[in-house]
Formats: sequence, C-alpha cells, structure tokens
Amino acid sequence: MLRIGPATFRIGSAWGRPIDALARLYADYPDVRGAIADFTVRLQPASALRRWVRPHIFITGDHGLADAAPMSLAHGLLAAEMGMNLQMALGWRRHLLLHASSVEKDGRVLVMTGESGSGKSTLAALLGERGWRLMGDEFALLDMASGAILPFPRLVSLKNRAIDVVAGEVGAARMGPLLRATAKGDIRHMVPRGDAVARMDEGGMPALLLFPRFGHEAAVRDVGQGEVFMRLTQASTNYVALGEPAFAALTRFVREVPARAIDFPSGDAAIAMVERLWSETP
Amino acid sequence: METAYRRDEEDAVSACVLDDMVLLYHRRSGQTHMVISPVPEILERMVDGETVTAAAMHDRLARDFDLGERAAAVAEIGSHLDALVALGLVRPA
Repeated sequence: MLRIGPATFRIGSAWGRPIDALARLYADYPDVRGAIADFTVRLQPASALRRWVRPHIFITGDHGLADAAPMSLAHGLLAAEMGMNLQMALGWRRHLLLHASSVEKDGRVLVMTGESGSGKSTLAALLGERGWRLMGDEFALLDMASGAILPFPRLVSLKNRAIDVVAGEVGAARMGPLLRATAKGDIRHMVPRGDAVARMDEGGMPALLLFPRFGHEAAVRDVGQGEVFMRLTQASTNYVALGEPAFAALTRFVREVPARAIDFPSGDAAIAMVERLWSETP
Repeated sequence: METAYRRDEEDAVSACVLDDMVLLYHRRSGQTHMVISPVPEILERMVDGETVTAAAMHDRLARDFDLGERAAAVAEIGSHLDALVALGLVRPA
C-alpha cells in the first residue's frame, strides 16, 4: 500500500523484486497499511510460463490498456510507476488532472506542462533541490472548488541526459536503479526531498504557468489565453469526464494565471529564466 | 423556402471570454467549443428562442455592426448558422 498525495494505491506483483524496489524508494512515505485503496495495480506475467522463462510483465489493475506492450522484469519498477500513472490518468475524478510538473515557493505554485522530453520533470527536480518544494513531476491536481494545485509527489522519472544532471546533484542514496533501454530510453527514478513528502497534503494557489522546451536557444514567448486553454485541455486526461466544473475551474486558471513559453539550452539556463520570470510575477 | 433557426433553453451554453476567443461549454453534450466573431454575436442574438432566418439575423447584427454588402453577409451568416446546427448548438426551426 502506498499513498501519494490524495491517492492510495494497492500494488501487487507476481515477483518480489519490483515491490522491494518500491519499498526502498518509498520508505519515507506515509505508512498506510489497512487504508482503503483508491486503485489497485497488478504486475503479472504475460502468460503462466513467462513468470519464470524470460519473465515479461503485463500491467493491469482497476484500469488497463488492452494493447499495452509487456515489459521486461528488469524494468519492474518502471512498470509499477506506469501502472500507478495509468490508474490516475484513467480513473481519478476528485481533481482536474493536468499532465504537468509543479513546484512551490512562499505558498504559490509554479506549474510546468509539456510533452515528454520537454524538460518539465528535470526542471521540477532541479528546482526542488534549489529552494523550491517539489510538488510533482507528472501530475498536478487542480482542485475545482478552490482553484488550488495539490501535490502528487511520486518518484521523479528522469530520462537519458537528465539522469546524470540530477544524480550529480542529489547523490546516489536518493536514486533508484538505472533502467536501461526502456521504450523511452534510459530511465532512473529520484526520491523527492523529505519536505516534498512531509508536505504532500499541502497545496497552493497557482501563480505562473510555463511551457518549457529543452534543446533550443533561450527564448521567452507570451502565450494567448486561447492557446493556453487548448494546451491544458490536451494535457488533462479527465477534463471531458468532469464536465462543467472542469470547464469553470480551467477557465478560471487560464484567466488568472500568467503563462509563458520558455525555450532553453540547459538546465542552468532554464533555472535562471524561471527565477527571473518568477521575480517578475505579480 | 428560407431556412429558419432557433435555440432552445436546453441549448444553453456557459460562455467564457478569453483574450483572443470565446469558450462555450455546451451542457447537453458536455463539449467545449472555441469560437471567434461573429459566432458569439450570432448566438447572443438568438437567446430569445425566436426563430430567425439568415436574413433576419443579418438585420439584427446590422444594428450594431457594419456588415458590408448585404447578399454576401447574409450568405456568410447562413453558413455560420449551418455550422452551428452541425455542432448541435442551434437547431433548424
């Protein structure tokens, strides 16, 4: 059993190794044995034989994708993380779910959204080591009644070049095993700092929205409200399912939160841009 | 005969004006539409539930806007009304 922010997961596996890895990396998260789970995630063999022979994991649970490709047992930790993400993406209804990272400072929240590879996870991880509180690298939960962003601080999933950049900063004790040659390249998970876990029930009002894009010359661009709205509906997995309250909450967000697109060539350049934009934010 | 259009109470939308467009949340379908002028202006002028033809809509709009040459403007308004019918926001009377 594992609780991340408002969501509680029951995770089962036909093999011990993925559970051992989760137990080590989530050791400092709240002990929720006996709680009622929101979701079940199961890692099971693609077939009975595959439990032993060239083991392949099939991710299932309350919600599953029929055409999900089986994964190697060596990537069991990733399968568990993907299983939890899948349950949230397909099943969460208590908040408007935005595929975005978020960090907090002085009670106000910076939200960053973009495609996989945009740098939003890396940027959130780095900011989380430099004076900000990491709220999440994958999902930001928008409370439809209050307009606040709530944390979902699961392990941060770092890919390819970002792995060394962040591992060098946080040290090996907070890093998971290196998972080579997954469908998204090399992946290594990072345990958030203690304050991110200890304060994972504490939200904040959004103050700035950024659309980061790694690998380009440094540039900042204003983004019109219509484009912001469109990109946020695309970044939400449950906008349609939640109906009119989601419309009201998202339009409020778009009208109240200033938005910028930022291009950057490196993590350090991005952090300098973020800090400058943050200091200019009313 | 000229096509007439109308909106029922149940066709109601909640609207939100952003800086560069208007969003319409259509309760009956749960769909969100992003529209720009003259669509919001046309819909505003149908809230009374009365049936209206493209020509009559032209005359309503012409009180507030300079629409240019009449025949071309009526044709354009007619095609907007047909598009709104296709979206389910307006129905043929």
